[in-house]
Amino acid sequence: MTSPLATYSSPDITEKLFAVKEGNSRYSTTNGKTTGPSTYVLNAGQVDIDKPSDPRINPATQQPTTLSKLRMELTGMQDDINEFLTQRMEVAKNKKLKIQNTSEEKRIENEINELLDGGDGDDDEDAEDQKEKNTNAK
Amino acid sequence: MVNLNTVKPRNGRNYYIALGLEGSANKLGVGVIKHPRLVSMSQGDNSHNCDVEILSNIRDTYVTPPGEGFLPRDTARHHRNWVIRIIKQALEKAEIKDPRLDIDVICFTRGPGMGAPLHSVAIAARTCSLIWDVPLVGVNHCVGHIEMGREITKAENPVVLYVSGGNTQVIAYSENRYRIFGETLDVAIGNCLDRFARTLKIPNAPSPGYNIEQLANNCKNKDRLIELPYTVKGMDLSMSGILAYIDSLAKDLFRGNKKNRLIFDRETGEPKITVEDLCYSLQENLFAMLVEITERAMAHVNASQVLIVGGVGSNTRLQEMMGQMCKDRANGRVHATDERFCIDNGVMIAQAGLLQYRMGDYVKDFSETVVTQKFRTDEVYVSWRD
Repeated sequence: MTSPLATYSSPDITEKLFAVKEGNSRYSTTNGKTTGPSTYVLNAGQVDIDKPSDPRINPATQQPTTLSKLRMELTGMQDDINEFLTQRMEVAKNKKLKIQNTSEEKRIENEINELLDGGDGDDDEDAEDQKEKNTNAK
Repeated sequence: MVNLNTVKPRNGRNYYIALGLEGSANKLGVGVIKHPRLVSMSQGDNSHNCDVEILSNIRDTYVTPPGEGFLPRDTARHHRNWVIRIIKQALEKAEIKDPRLDIDVICFTRGPGMGAPLHSVAIAARTCSLIWDVPLVGVNHCVGHIEMGREITKAENPVVLYVSGGNTQVIAYSENRYRIFGETLDVAIGNCLDRFARTLKIPNAPSPGYNIEQLANNCKNKDRLIELPYTVKGMDLSMSGILAYIDSLAKDLFRGNKKNRLIFDRETGEPKITVEDLCYSLQENLFAMLVEITERAMAHVNASQVLIVGGVGSNTRLQEMMGQMCKDRANGRVHATDERFCIDNGVMIAQAGLLQYRMGDYVKDFSETVVTQKFRTDEVYVSWRD
């Protein structure tokens, strides 16, 4: 039986291939690294009774059955995909945070400059004052 | 005229078999039902009287520790890791030897509900459909409750009170839609009870609402209600304020806040109320609100029957209060089912899905199987009723 494959694509990534890496132990278990119970519920005292069943071993060959092998490989691949997507989410989050921080820094800088120019920090009021000045000048 | 025999059963049989998969919240349910193909079903609206035979109804609940709710990720994990085992059990109990030949349709909950758990079960449904080459039907969870309730109680055209952890609606049928007459403006009644149970730190097994009902039954001061907000707004109701208020009372009781004169006696400093009193008053208050809007809906559509569905519908006090209201109305009657059918289950999804299938409405493309968290009861075209 051939091993499963998965591809991911998005506007910034043409194609990312996920495949089973031979000999890696993460493809020979049904208990994934990223597919366990969340830390929050474990800390709350949850006893994990919802584990996936263990792989079934064929008594004749002493090897996992075909379906069990597939389940183990998919568990490992799911870990690969989850880690990849989590990393992408982190990158996206950091980018957003950076933009937010930059715009916040820029706002503070503008405010300081405005105050140094003699404003009182209230944009609306300053605009009104300017409007009045222009009218009087006419 | 409705013809429920539009689609013939597979393999020349004279009955239909449907497999139902439910997993919109913390219950994972798998059920198998059988409908005989009766001549009467092609001669008008008999959708409440299908002579259903329940071959199996297996359920497994994701239970969290006291004081905790269920998170989407962990609930989805529970469903993912149990669904195959539960399907196997259900098929075995129903004595389905070869699903390829014996099952006419696979029905699954398409929404509303929690996204991740819905998704887990939908994937299982798609997989079974592909492996066995059996058609799929995506079912609205609320319509599943209604159709199961109608079939079990044989209520032909009742006003429906749908009360569960995620929904609170008063519904009446009109022109091929289940129309929503009134509903909650914020949290659902089951959610209100569950969250209060979390504050009280009472166990979540078998269900928080059931444990509140038991505490309320043990109340020794049933003649002295604790005053709570009563928030009926036209045909709708609101429960978040009531929850916030009773939560604050419970917290003051546990903290021993003697300044709260509602709870502690001014002279002796002893508590005047107990946890049982709080549970009893909360139930009475919320249920009175439900009875009021249900009675108003009955008056609107001139109905005499009420059908209570959803997990909270198994509360015997709610059934009793609704029964009292119905008794005061001419020919009034309340219909309710027990926990096997009130609480989320696979059989109800099979029942609504099979009705839909028998009208020739089933999935033609897998893009139609995408689950949705928001899926209102009145979005469904009810082709199986006149």
